[in-house]
This record gives sequence, C-alpha cells and structure tokens, in this order.
Amino acid sequence: MSDTLSTISTLIIEGKFADMISITNAALEEGLSADKILNDGLMPGMDHVGAEFKVGNLFVPDVLYSAKAMQAAMTIIRPLLAETGVETAGKVVLGTVKGDLHDIGKNLVGMMCEGAGFEVIDLGNDVDPEVFVEAVKEHKPTILGMSALLTTTLGAMERTIKILEGAGLRDKVKIMIGGAPVNQDFADQITADGYASNAATASELAKELSK
Amino acid sequence: MINSNYTAQVTPGIQLLSDSQKEEIHSATLELLRRTGVKVLVPEVRDLLKKAGCWMDGELVRIPPHLIDWAIRTAPSRVVLCDRIGNPAMELEGRKGYYGTGSDTPFVIDAYSGKRRKAVLDDVGIVARLVDALEHIDFLMCMGIASDVTAEISDLYHFREMIRNTTKPIIYTAWNRKNLEDIIEMAEIVSGGAESLRRKPFIALYSEPISPLTHANDSCEKLLYLAGKGLPVVYTPGLMIGGTGPVTIAGALVQAIAEQLSGLLITQLIQEGTPVIGAGGILLMDMSKGLISYAAPEFMIATTAISEMYHYYQLPIFSFSGCSDSKSFDQQASAEGALWMIISALGGGNLIHDVGYIESGLTASYQQLVCMNEIAALVKRFMRGVEVNQENIALDVISEVGPGGQYLSHEHTYQNFRRNWIPELFNRSSNEEWKTEGALTLGDVASAKVQQILETHKPQAISKDVSDALDTVIKKAENRVK
Ligand code: B12
Repeated sequence: MSDTLSTISTLIIEGKFADMISITNAALEEGLSADKILNDGLMPGMDHVGAEFKVGNLFVPDVLYSAKAMQAAMTIIRPLLAETGVETAGKVVLGTVKGDLHDIGKNLVGMMCEGAGFEVIDLGNDVDPEVFVEAVKEHKPTILGMSALLTTTLGAMERTIKILEGAGLRDKVKIMIGGAPVNQDFADQITADGYASNAATASELAKELSK
Repeated sequence: MINSNYTAQVTPGIQLLSDSQKEEIHSATLELLRRTGVKVLVPEVRDLLKKAGCWMDGELVRIPPHLIDWAIRTAPSRVVLCDRIGNPAMELEGRKGYYGTGSDTPFVIDAYSGKRRKAVLDDVGIVARLVDALEHIDFLMCMGIASDVTAEISDLYHFREMIRNTTKPIIYTAWNRKNLEDIIEMAEIVSGGAESLRRKPFIALYSEPISPLTHANDSCEKLLYLAGKGLPVVYTPGLMIGGTGPVTIAGALVQAIAEQLSGLLITQLIQEGTPVIGAGGILLMDMSKGLISYAAPEFMIATTAISEMYHYYQLPIFSFSGCSDSKSFDQQASAEGALWMIISALGGGNLIHDVGYIESGLTASYQQLVCMNEIAALVKRFMRGVEVNQENIALDVISEVGPGGQYLSHEHTYQNFRRNWIPELFNRSSNEEWKTEGALTLGDVASAKVQQILETHKPQAISKDVSDALDTVIKKAENRVK
C-alpha cells in the first residue's frame, strides 16, 4: 500500500481532522484515484475505529473525531466519486419525530453514519411526518432514519411510513428506526426495514440496508 | 451545672463545595445568563421577561443578574405537600429528605413472572399500592408508562390510577398543557375545589427545560398554566454531561443551574410565590456505550453539589436515589441503589426520586423498590448518628454491670435495643437456618414482599362520586383526542 494511503488511515484513526484536507489533496496529486483513497485509505481507518470502539478501546468522542476526519476528506472526494460514477455509501435523512425533543441519540447516529461515509441530512427534532416525506422527495436518500424516545411519539413513525406509502415513495427508500423504547418487534409491526439499539450498530445497519 | 454552647446532636452529611466555590459557581451562572442567555420559545413568556428588563434578541433572552437574585428571594424556601386527604405529609425545605419513585418507564419487570415487558396501566396501580404500603417511601411517581391506553392521554390515566391507589403525595407528568389542565381538574375534584388544592396541594408537576439552555413550548405552557394557578412544580433540567452539557462537572453545574434559575424566574414573573422545587439532574453519558448512566459516581457527585447550591439559595431540592443501570434486579442493582440511598441522604436533597428505576430509567423494578425501602430504613438509622447524652453514655449502667458482667438481661438493654435497626428483608440468620428456610436470595425475599403487599394491602379508596367525576374527565379527554 502507498505510504500516503496508510497515513490517511492513521490520521483517520487518530481523528486528526485538521490534517485531512491537505493529505487528501496530496494523495490526489500523487495520482491516487478518489475511489482508491476512499476504499484503501479512509474506510480501513474507519473500520479499525469501529472495531476498537466495539471492544471498548475507543470511546464515543474518539469515534466522532474520526468521523469528522472522514467528513473532511469526503468533502473533497465526494464530487470526484460522483463524476466517475463510483457508488458512495449514499445519503441518510435523519430526524427525531414530531413531539419529541430527545436528540442526542439521533445526533450520535448521524455522526456515526457520517463516519461510515454517508452524507447525512439532519432534519433536527420535532419533525412532522410531512417534512420527512418532503425531504425524501427532495434529497432522494438511500435511507430514512427516525428516532423516538417517547411512547407518545412512536406513532409518528408509523404515520410517516403510511404517508410515504401514500405518496408512492415507500419502495424508494429504506427505513431504519431507533430510540430507547423502540425494539425489533415494533420495527416489524410498522414495517420499517431495520432497527438498531445503538449508534455503532445503526451505522452498520445503514450500510447493510444500502447494499 | 452550667454547660454553655453545647451542640445537642450532630447528624452526618457531606460537603463537596466550599463557600467560595459556591459563590464562584453562582457568579458563573449569572454571567452565563447575562452573556449567553437562554432560548424561550413561547412569546407570552418572552413578553414577561422583556417587561422585567431582560435583553431580547429574537428567541434568545439574556438576563440581568439582579432578576435572578430577585427570583431566588421571591420563590418560597419551603414547600409543603399534603397527602390526598389534606394532612401535611412532606415539608420540602432545609435538609429534610423524602424518598419516592420515578416516572414514565416504558418497561417493567413483572411482579410475578420476573420477565421484562411493556408497562401497562395496571403497573401504575401496582406501584402506587406498593408506595402506599412501604413505610420509607414517602411519595409516588407513576413508574410505568401505560401502553394499553390511548397514548395521547396516557398521563390522565396514570394520574387517576395513582389517585385510586395511594393517599401519599403524587409527583406527576403531563404530555402537554391541555392534558395538564385535565389533570388539574381531576386534582381539584379530589381536593374539593381549586382553593383547597392551592392551600393543601397533594401533587406537584414534574417538568423540564431542554438542555442546553432552552425553555421549550411545552415547558413554558405548563409553567404558564401552573404558576398562573400558584400550584407546585418541579422544574429541573436533565442534562447529560458531555452530551447536552459540558463534560466537566463544574461546567455542567453552571449550565444546569442557569437553566433551572431562568425557569424559576419565569415562574416568579408569572406569579410571585409560586412553589418551585429546583436543582436538577446532571447525568453521565457513558462514552463507551453512548448511553446514559443513572448510577455513575459523576452523577452522584453532581447531584450532591447541585443540592449544596440549592441549600445556599435556600430553595427546595429535587434529587435522585435508589436507581441503577442494571438490566435486572441483581447484585449491580442493589449495589448502585444502596450507594445512592446513603449518598442522597447525606447530600440533603428534599424530594429524592427515581427509587426503583433500573436500566437507566427505562425499566421499573418492584423488587428494587422494596429492597430500597429496606435500605432507606438502614440509612435512616445511620443518619441518626451518635446520640450523645447522659442516658446513652450510661455510666451508671456500665458501673453496675462492672468488669466481667453482661448487658443482655439489663434493663437498659431491654429499654433501648429497639432503637437499633432490625432488618426485615436482609438476612442475618445462621447458615443452617438460612438453608432450612429455602436458601432464599434477596431477590426471592423482595419478590415475596412485593406479592405479599399486592395481595394484602388495601389503600384508602376514593368515594364513588369522586371516582365517577374523574371518569367523566377522562371520557371528555377521550372525545377530545378522537
Ligand atoms: C436526556 C433525557 C431527556 C432530555 C433530552 C435532551 C435532549 N436534547 O435530547 C430532556 C430533559 C429534555 C428530556 C425531556 C423529556 N423526557 Co426524557 N429522557 C432523557 C434520558 C435520561 C436519556 C435519553 C438520551 O439522550 N440518552 C442517550 C442517547 C445517546 O441514547 P438514545 O437516545 O437511546 O439513543 C441511542 C439508541 O436508542 C439508538 N438510536 C436513537 N435514535 C436512533 C435512530 C435510529 C434511526 C437508529 C437506528 C438508532 C437510534 O442509538 C443511540 C445512540 O447509541 C431518557 C432515559 C433513557 N435512559 O433513555 C429519558 C426518557 C426518554 N425521557 C422520558 C420522558 C417521559 C421525558 C419527558 C416527557 C419528561 C417530562 N415530564 O417533561 C420530556 C419530553 C420532552 C419532549 N417533548 O421530548 C422517558 C420516556 C418514557 C416514554 N417511553 O415515553 C424516559 C425513558 C425517562 C423516564 N423514565 O422518564 N428527557
């Protein structure tokens, strides 16, 4: 592997986001393709971070620094990847549902997805079903992620899915849901495509669903 | 004999902050409110703040220090909550502490099967009956969130179920202002009118600002309604250190206090003298799981420190205890719960809640609740400290028994041994006896105690008229949300 690619991996692992722009540009100048930078530099770094997080050697703030580094590099290579028609991880539209103001879990999921290479469009909290549907129309994401922490707001997830169906958009997007009171049974019941109980598995789920 | 300057009794306590540190934290809080301010999402509340002299910038409100000091002086230093009958039950002031449950867990551990399942309305009745029967649990929060009633108005069902099953004071939650109005209608029916409820409140709302530094729509609307009526409210943030607040405890304290005191100011501007219970939750965000911990030492430190700040302000304190991150009632649950029980007692909070929570506030455990009731008894014994007086020093008794004698059959022993703690659930028997009795664990004993209460305890019922009137309120609400 080229030295530059392994430096990219290391910088991702160390979360050195301030250095990412220059190293990514250096790699491109060396003649490395955006595709190669992504798959042989950035992703192996992020995979390592993910694995270390799982076993408890790295912590949330470490992962978020790595995700920030990933994001910095992606701002440069995403347009190049698009030009050359290389498939990227895709887009995630994310929000906390109507009536619900709990947003830290959702934010964490968003940052983890960014770390996994997704472009994340965060609609914030207290998001109307109609706003989710509009965002699906506008951004054409691979994945729609909804978060709810309240028993009283769980219903808004189902309503959103119904409206998507009504608008003929349901088969255009994969839906993943989460939040403390949510479980797999509930996901099945409202015909969501997936459920994850924490942010690390959420980004894995997002990758899985966008295959 | 003359004995000047004698201090009669010292009970234990902890102190984390010096007076200078309290001043430093208070001054940083005032600076935060002056420089950064808070977001207030409801225009009516912003108008009040503007009239009072705050600096307005859209939804952002910056608060001059004198207003906060005014609110601290104006809000009552003592709040008395009564029981359902109207007798005084809790004096929330100074360092008088009372234990109670928590609210709104989506799951419970079933009292009989021991399985975790979704909470139903019946669980709210169960926890209310347990609280009613348990000697050292002084107030009730609903614990389970009922999944088998109309979700939009489940808070109304919780409230009625609590009223039906205990006379102890109730700290309730409400999903929004409209539901809150219905709940207050129910409370007024129970109390015998609005005036009676104001004079002898047996309930207080639990509501929260949204960290960081936001008084959201529902929070403001609830304050407008309740403070308008002069009814008691717990208004405290639930800040997550490293998530919705600084990761350093000192910074988290400043932010949480700023959120609470700006809320306090709002209540006092709505109506001076509105009873408010303050302080707040400063929870740890576990950075290896990315989830919340209800039993981290940082949470315990922060709870103790914010209690000290509110003692300094002479304002009533909402505090935490008896809760755990464990997924079942096991060794971890009792260890974390017990540690909390003693720390919260030493810390001197007034309304000490969340007793019986496991799985970081997601599950209610009845075993945990009765086990913590046992620990509360132990803690209360500890908190009496050493009672030093002539009778207890018992020089005459020691002389009488003399070297080589025995105290067992002495009258002094007979007269006083019951003042020492006698456990009900904890086992002190011999190994032989323990085996003969079935080698029961604390979990077994706690379950049996739960079941025994549920099978034998009959709380004082409400009258048929009151019961019917409450049903009518709920029927009306059902029609409203249909
Ligand atoms: C912090 C907190 C608050 C804060 C929220 C601040 C904020 N900016 O988010 C404040 C204090 C404002 C708050 C308010 C309320 N809260 Co609250 N809150 C909590 C608490 C303690 C922690 C939640 C949290 O942030 N956890 C940390 C994050 C990282 O975890 P998480 O959200 O679960 O997310 C993880 C996973 O679930 C998953 N995930 C999350 N979203 C998604 C989405 C997707 C797509 C996927 C795949 C995965 C996924 O990954 C995340 C990261 O690992 C919980 C208790 C608990 N243990 O959950 C109660 C809790 C959720 N709150 C509760 C309640 C009742 C309320 C209030 C109604 C209280 C009141 N009476 O006012 C209000 C409601 C306000 C509103 N309209 O939303 C109840 C909910 C009961 C229920 N099921 O209905 C809980 C369970 C506590 C309790 N027992 O009372 N709360």
